[in-house]
Amino acid sequence: MAAAVQKKICMLGGFSVGKTSLVKRFVASVFSETYLTTVGVKIDKKTVELSDRVVNLILWDLAGEDDISSLRMSYLRGAAGYVLVADGTRPSTLEVALSLRRRVEAEFGALPFVLLLNKNDLQEQWAIGDGEVENLRRDGWWVRSTSARTGEGVEDAFGALAERVAR
Amino acid sequence: MEGLPATVAEQLQALIYSDRAVAYLQVDAELNLVAAGGHLAAYGLSGVHLGEPAAEQAFFLEGLLPPVETPFSVPSVELASGRVADLYFLLDEEAWWVVLLDVSAERDSARRMQQKAYDMTLAQEREVLLNRRLEAANAALIAARRELEASHDALADAHAQVQAQAAELAAWNKTLEERVAAQLTEIERMSRLKRFFAPALAELIVSSGNERILESHRRDIAVLFCDLRGFTAFAESAEPEEVMALLHGYHAALVPLIQEFGGTLDRFVGDGLMVYFNDPLPCPNPAERAVSLAIAMRDAVAALAQNWRRHDYHLGFGIGIAQGFATLGQIGFEGRFDYSAIGTVINTAARLCEVAKDGQILVTSRIATAAAEMADISEIGPLTFKGLRRPLAVSNVETLKVPETSEVA
Repeated sequence: MAAAVQKKICMLGGFSVGKTSLVKRFVASVFSETYLTTVGVKIDKKTVELSDRVVNLILWDLAGEDDISSLRMSYLRGAAGYVLVADGTRPSTLEVALSLRRRVEAEFGALPFVLLLNKNDLQEQWAIGDGEVENLRRDGWWVRSTSARTGEGVEDAFGALAERVAR
Repeated sequence: MEGLPATVAEQLQALIYSDRAVAYLQVDAELNLVAAGGHLAAYGLSGVHLGEPAAEQAFFLEGLLPPVETPFSVPSVELASGRVADLYFLLDEEAWWVVLLDVSAERDSARRMQQKAYDMTLAQEREVLLNRRLEAANAALIAARRELEASHDALADAHAQVQAQAAELAAWNKTLEERVAAQLTEIERMSRLKRFFAPALAELIVSSGNERILESHRRDIAVLFCDLRGFTAFAESAEPEEVMALLHGYHAALVPLIQEFGGTLDRFVGDGLMVYFNDPLPCPNPAERAVSLAIAMRDAVAALAQNWRRHDYHLGFGIGIAQGFATLGQIGFEGRFDYSAIGTVINTAARLCEVAKDGQILVTSRIATAAAEMADISEIGPLTFKGLRRPLAVSNVETLKVPETSEVA
């Protein structure tokens, strides 16, 4: 197996979409019902074993911003990829994710990313249409449905992104 | 620290160093760690090794080295140790410096404020969402209510329609009942009339709608009485079934003849029949018709008698005919009416029948005169009858005259 590589991944999305919870679920396999907003950035590390190599993902969990102009681009410097997170029960957060992606791409060019539609355990409150998601997929987006509460889709989504940034 | 007295500057440096837990790392051009110092433990960096890659030991540096510009800072970075630091990247001639200043307290303070703001925003979002759901539920309720009202209207329409149909049906029913009642009345009238008159005559009376014809009135009629000779003795000796069977055949033979000749059957009395002509509807030549019927009856009974004799029934048949005025009309009371004739002419005909021998058709002189051209009639002479003041000239009708035919030369 090749030597471990280290890649910086940024978590981006509106506030309260579950970025910190996804990182906690991925890194420590835990979930907390208490919402604690992130200010600035919180950095964690998670080692992922791929089929042919080991990747150390350095996860930059950025503060959620609905006003994308407030995003500190300095946090994204040196990122190998990013995770866009939207809350499936709040359609406005998908709009925020799409805007963030445009801003990042304008600043840093095309980086590997995955869009996570989080909180899929709240199906009764789900508010994002299948048609909208299908359109994104047709445009070549990687879209995954996840739940930080149950862990559904989390490991797969980070693993898939690790594969792409480690190429 | 230009402008500050040396003591103040020195104290200030000491204060910042202590209060902000200042730590530093120095990285060379190969991105290896070449120096480290300050409050490294506060940031979880106490175990770093000089001469080894910096980003592998301080992984928050991943992607940031070498800095594309200096000075460069990354604010409010929470490290794995839990400390929050502002990172400063500085450059001197030989290497890059990374300085960490603790801002945990500031971050916590900012977070408290941010938390409140976000909590409020989330609450507002939830409220908006809830309002939308309430509005949707309200709209659904209004739609359901409208649908219900429409259904109610449709139901009321249907109810009104059903009621209208029921009323129409009731009206039809009433009409039908009236028609049935009218037809029943007609059938009753018909059946009543058929007892007295030939069926065709009964229908004529009914269709004319003039039943005044049945009211009491006087009219000149020809009356025919007939009965069997020796019937009383036969009835005493024979079984009732035999008597009834014989009467049935006798009536079956005679009644159609009465109808055929247009007579009015007044009544049956055992083997006796009373028939008259010219009432209730007038007819021409009542006497001749009566004589013709009498001859036909005599022939019919003669045919029956041949069969009776084979059963050893010895019965004769006599007829009496008279003509005169009689009073006719319905007699009886509600529930039992009969149409009948009363008068001397009835008694006369009855007496003539009584005295007639088997095969005789005894008639008064008036009948004999009226039928003289159609039948051979022989005078018998004056006879005295009980209940009649004067003797009566009586004749017997022998046979119908054979129409004269002219010989062909």
